[in-house]
Amino acid sequence: MIRKVRNVLAFCILLTLPGTAPLVCAQQAKTKIKASAVEVKMIPSDELLLPAEFQVSLYENLIDQLWKKRVFQTVYRDGDQNARAAADLTTLECTVIKLKKGNETLREVTTIAGATSMTLRCEFRDNDGNSLWVREITGKVRFFGASLKATYDFAKKTADLVDKDFCS
Amino acid sequence: MISTMKVVVIVTVLLLCGPLISVSRGQQQQTATPAVQVIGLAGLKENTKGQLTVADGTLSFTHDKQTVDVSASSIEDVVTGRDSQRVIGGTLGTVASLAAPYGTGSALPLLRKKVDTLTIQYRDAIGGLHGAIFTMPVGKAETIKKELIAWGARTSIPLQAEIDKMMTTPKENK
Repeated sequence: MIRKVRNVLAFCILLTLPGTAPLVCAQQAKTKIKASAVEVKMIPSDELLLPAEFQVSLYENLIDQLWKKRVFQTVYRDGDQNARAAADLTTLECTVIKLKKGNETLREVTTIAGATSMTLRCEFRDNDGNSLWVREITGKVRFFGASLKATYDFAKKTADLVDKDFCS
Repeated sequence: MISTMKVVVIVTVLLLCGPLISVSRGQQQQTATPAVQVIGLAGLKENTKGQLTVADGTLSFTHDKQTVDVSASSIEDVVTGRDSQRVIGGTLGTVASLAAPYGTGSALPLLRKKVDTLTIQYRDAIGGLHGAIFTMPVGKAETIKKELIAWGARTSIPLQAEIDKMMTTPKENK
């Protein structure tokens, strides 16, 4: 008898489980910003005289990491004509606000000195130009590797934060 | 009569030399430069080693049997590592870096001096902006930049030769 009751209970729980999944998503959607596409703008270099290598590396790493996280259905490049027709489009603009010099040799020798770091202000805007999300994110390279790795670190951190706050 | 003869001789010489000049130019452009694609070219992994060539208005990066082409006319900006050093830390950039916040002159040591870098920004067929970075032996980046500009690529930083010309012209006038 007890076994029968237990089986019925288990069956009822199993029946209700698929129904709970959309509820969880809906709750998440309430707290997350909904956007199905993003257009990543090129990082401007005029204000801080950012070397072209860093400008391009930041931009390419950012696009790459956003694709990998699959937060958005589509990640458009700056100027992509298809972005105009995209529904739910957001624009991501990042500007470098701080750049600290590093030294690769010093990093490799001492492992405590010579770190490179860069801080960027990242802002998501909707189609009407309203600000949706603003963060200051720092990318660093502490131990081994060229200074350009700081751009990868920045892009990875940005994609992680975006993943937490956005859903498509 | 003599002047007519002169014109005929000059025209003949030019006609004969023309193809020779274009052949030598073509050979120069097709010289492959060993390079590393640091980031940016579609379909290639980061830090891919290969050969970089400029021929018939196209920048080509070849790795194994795979080739990625970028039309020179689609390049909106081509900058070498030396350009960055000149603008940020050189004579032109000294005043700017002093005035800029957070000591932007400090960006200079971020660039490696053992290798040359070539950075390009270009548009694809649907207007999307791409960026690519290459490293190559010292002295090669400026040559490739020169060739790309000759084929219609644009640059935000003029060639060193043009800057030298600009700097020397006023002295000559005096």
